[in-house]
Amino acid sequence: MGKRILLVEDEKNIILGVRTCLDAVGYEVEIAENGELAMEALQRSHPDLILLDLMLPKVNGFEVLESLKSDPETETIPVVVLTAKAEEEDRQRAMGLGADAYMTKPFKPQELWDLLKNYLPDDDKEQ
Amino acid sequence: MTDWNGLALQHISDALFITDRAHNIVWLNPLAEEIFGINAGEGRGRPVTEITGIEQLTPLLEELHEQGTPSEPSFEKVETVIRFSGRRYFFKVAVAPVSREGVSIGALVQLTDITRFYEMEKFKGDYISIISHEFRTPLTSVVLGVEMLRQGLLGELNERGEEVFDAIGDDCHRLTKLVDNLLELSRIESGTIYIQAEPVDAAELVREAIRPLKIQAEKKGISLLTEVPEALPLVAADFNKTVWVLTNLVGNALRYTEAGGTITVRIRVGTWRLYFSVQDSGCGIPPEYRDQIFEKFIQVRGPARRKGGAGLGLAIAKEIVTAHGGEIWVESEVGVGSTFTFSFPLFRREEIMG
Repeated sequence: MGKRILLVEDEKNIILGVRTCLDAVGYEVEIAENGELAMEALQRSHPDLILLDLMLPKVNGFEVLESLKSDPETETIPVVVLTAKAEEEDRQRAMGLGADAYMTKPFKPQELWDLLKNYLPDDDKEQ
Repeated sequence: MTDWNGLALQHISDALFITDRAHNIVWLNPLAEEIFGINAGEGRGRPVTEITGIEQLTPLLEELHEQGTPSEPSFEKVETVIRFSGRRYFFKVAVAPVSREGVSIGALVQLTDITRFYEMEKFKGDYISIISHEFRTPLTSVVLGVEMLRQGLLGELNERGEEVFDAIGDDCHRLTKLVDNLLELSRIESGTIYIQAEPVDAAELVREAIRPLKIQAEKKGISLLTEVPEALPLVAADFNKTVWVLTNLVGNALRYTEAGGTITVRIRVGTWRLYFSVQDSGCGIPPEYRDQIFEKFIQVRGPARRKGGAGLGLAIAKEIVTAHGGEIWVESEVGVGSTFTFSFPLFRREEIMG
């Protein structure tokens, strides 16, 4: 049974890249292109992990992170922040809001796969 | 008879103080009065650090009185908030000894207002930060795509295809490093990153810097040695940034040294400073590069093609070392090798005075 990942990201090319490398190792991927759509997706069902971009249209990533981690329904879902923001303050802010991991763009598929294995340990697909 | 000296001091655009050996003000010029909101009468006898709010003056003046000359560099930039006006200023500070009939009586403190310049630098820094972010976004899908192609996840590659994607992958790595380094350099240059200096064990710094590079050295067949004296005094340093400098120097040494060569990291204790040096038995640096090597984007072209590096490592290293109040330099001979040395102030002078 494949693990389900919700990718919250608005850049089309990055969506394609990330989805393709997650597909390649057997994860099921759902896409939400902004914070609102992410919250809607979460109403429908809970993924096993959320990949969250910080620069989102309308509601920004930090706010989404905050709502995720302050809601008892969703706070246990691991959130990995994927972002082009490389400043130390951003990392600290995200970790402070409860992010489980912080990965700066760009990154290689292997780096993402290795990181995900920490949070989705029962995955038995070949990598 | 016109008092030209007096006129000059009235109109000079730096704030000037003369302090006695206890660092109390004995004289200040009109601009100092104006900026710090105090008249000469009120200022006399008061500690200069109290009137200016520049705490760094104390260690600077101490060193001046002990050594007779100020060490290079003086603090390039100090920040202070003026009490009476609440305005924030950035000054460049210079101190010089003052003596009368051969006896040292105090110091001249010269403050140059660089507030506007600093604010421009900060703006430039913010601008670079935005640009760096803009580069990272498209690089993301490029790196992901190239790696997947290289790994054959999107269809099999022929031999030429593998070669081409290896090359692209390398250049993507270079681009990423460049973006990372530019951001770091701009932060340091604009002062938005402060050096958090604390008492640090220098031997620990060396251990931490060498650790990730040991495997690389082994693979390349290069001996990576250390010469660290026992019982080292503590050094005033920002741990992470200093480890970065050492890692950068050793990384460079690895790049420019052939198999069978040796790289030695040494610590030497001086009177006022600790000296770190990285010596390699590599190809050496041609004389024409030696002056520029700490500038941005300079990379020495070796006899063989050298991978990696964006030409910013030494520029950043220099910024970090300078911000600590230290110096960095290189001695080198083509065909023999190079030694990069940098100095840091010791944490407590009492430790060496016994």
